[in-house]
Amino acid sequence: MIKFENVAIRYDSGPDVLQNVNFTLAPGSYHFLSGPSGAGKSSLMSLLYLGRKPSSGKVTMFDRDIGAAPREALFPLRQRIGVVFQDFRLLDHLSAFDNVALPLRIIGRPEAEIRSHVGELLDWVGLGKDKQSLPPTLSGGQQQRIAVARAVIARPRLLLADEPTGNLDDEIGYRLMGLFEQLSRMGTTIVIATHNQQMIEKFGHPRLVLENGSVTVIDETQGKKIRNVF
Amino acid sequence: MFSEKIKALSKIPRPNLPLVNLKGKHPLIDTAIDKLALREYDLPLHKSEDSKFLVLLVGLMSFLAVLAFTGAFTLSAMSARWSSGLENKVTVEILAETREGLLRSDAAVKEDTQKIAKILSQSPIVKTVDIMDEKEIHDLIAPWIGKDLSLTDVPLPGLIAVELRSGTKPEQLAKLTRDIEDASRSANLSTHQDWLADLVRLTGTLQLVALVIAAIIGITTITAISGGTRTRMAIHREEVELLHLIGATDRYIARQFQRHALVLALKGAVAGTLSGLLIALIVALLPGNSDSSLTPQITLGAAHYIFLLLLPLLAGILAATTARFTVLRALARMP
Repeated sequence: MIKFENVAIRYDSGPDVLQNVNFTLAPGSYHFLSGPSGAGKSSLMSLLYLGRKPSSGKVTMFDRDIGAAPREALFPLRQRIGVVFQDFRLLDHLSAFDNVALPLRIIGRPEAEIRSHVGELLDWVGLGKDKQSLPPTLSGGQQQRIAVARAVIARPRLLLADEPTGNLDDEIGYRLMGLFEQLSRMGTTIVIATHNQQMIEKFGHPRLVLENGSVTVIDETQGKKIRNVF
Repeated sequence: MFSEKIKALSKIPRPNLPLVNLKGKHPLIDTAIDKLALREYDLPLHKSEDSKFLVLLVGLMSFLAVLAFTGAFTLSAMSARWSSGLENKVTVEILAETREGLLRSDAAVKEDTQKIAKILSQSPIVKTVDIMDEKEIHDLIAPWIGKDLSLTDVPLPGLIAVELRSGTKPEQLAKLTRDIEDASRSANLSTHQDWLADLVRLTGTLQLVALVIAAIIGITTITAISGGTRTRMAIHREEVELLHLIGATDRYIARQFQRHALVLALKGAVAGTLSGLLIALIVALLPGNSDSSLTPQITLGAAHYIFLLLLPLLAGILAATTARFTVLRALARMP
């Protein structure tokens, strides 16, 4: 369960970038996050992947009050979160294999298991032949698939993806969206930030709409439009 | 064309640590690689420009440390040799002139010498008594009066070399001194303690200087490694932040820097230590490095060699520990 209560973010002494943000994400829920540029999407995402703490309000994730949690307590929480960054943020000196293996190595999985799982996932996303390739030598679409594979390899309880299909052709894009659906059914909470209206309509999941620093939850599957509900 | 070349490049296997290539060959090897984290660094530390500088610096420091320790060991051995060489040894001198400054006859000096030697021989604390003959005394004083001077030109004092039994107490020696002085007003007993103490103090000071130099070398190394680590932290800040976001703990990240510092320090320290030992060996074999008891002689024992050969290991531990604490302290300030 992820719960935002009256959350605000400001940078230094500037104005609130996010204000009075309230919403709840149930385990296994699937939301699209949308909104115009500069609406505070990156700030909200950074709160969700525990890149920063709220300036005010309360964020509860995995039964922990994030604002009050000591620094050391955030490491195991982050291990439950998979993130696909818009700019991928791959480590250029590591092979595709080692990039994807990173979350498993961090949580200390044995190498034999890592080899088997990472190899399988890279085959699945169509990068089986490029396991040892370095990211700079791969196309944008291939790098994006590595980023997605890295985000899902450790079976996260929360998956955040910022435009995860932006550089992909339709076929692989929908394939990955199918993977996210599958993870959602297995209990992973999914938040996909996207401007792709076609995709939002096709999959029809509830939307977190960011506008002027606040969030509106729109759940058209139930014909509801709820502002700041938690 | 260009993109094809780039793709072709991506097929070239990347250089890895030798053990990493053994991955998958055997479960035990996998476990070892896993436990020792011998795979590729998660952070591109090995591409840092200052890596070579760190190897060179640790190499030079190890080289200087070997020389400083060799100096300290040599001085220690020299001091011990002086002390043991003169331990339990005293000299009794029967002056060739009276206390009033009048010359005594050769016969009187010889008579006193025999009398004192008899007293010494009867003392329970004396092991051996050796009356030095005129030639020995002349050889001894020749550097001051010249070899050409006839023995009859100058009155010679009587000299008796005495070896005391081990375990002689100061009060026993004081009694013997009194007995000798009672027997002859011209006799006096010298224990060499004064000038020996000066020499031992001098070598002790030199030893201390050598150890201080070694300590300065250690502190300089720690400072340089700490500074280098902070620089690498700043260069790779984005990657460090990414690892944090993926869930890496501070200790996981610190291990990367720690291992990198360990490998670089070992490389530098092995080269520096071997070079230092080579120089020490050359100096030890130089013809001027005679076995005179008063000149420094490089004669290292097995324990000294073992200590010096362990220096690379010490340098590695020092570097790894310094890197670890530097990184942990810097990471604690990150969100």
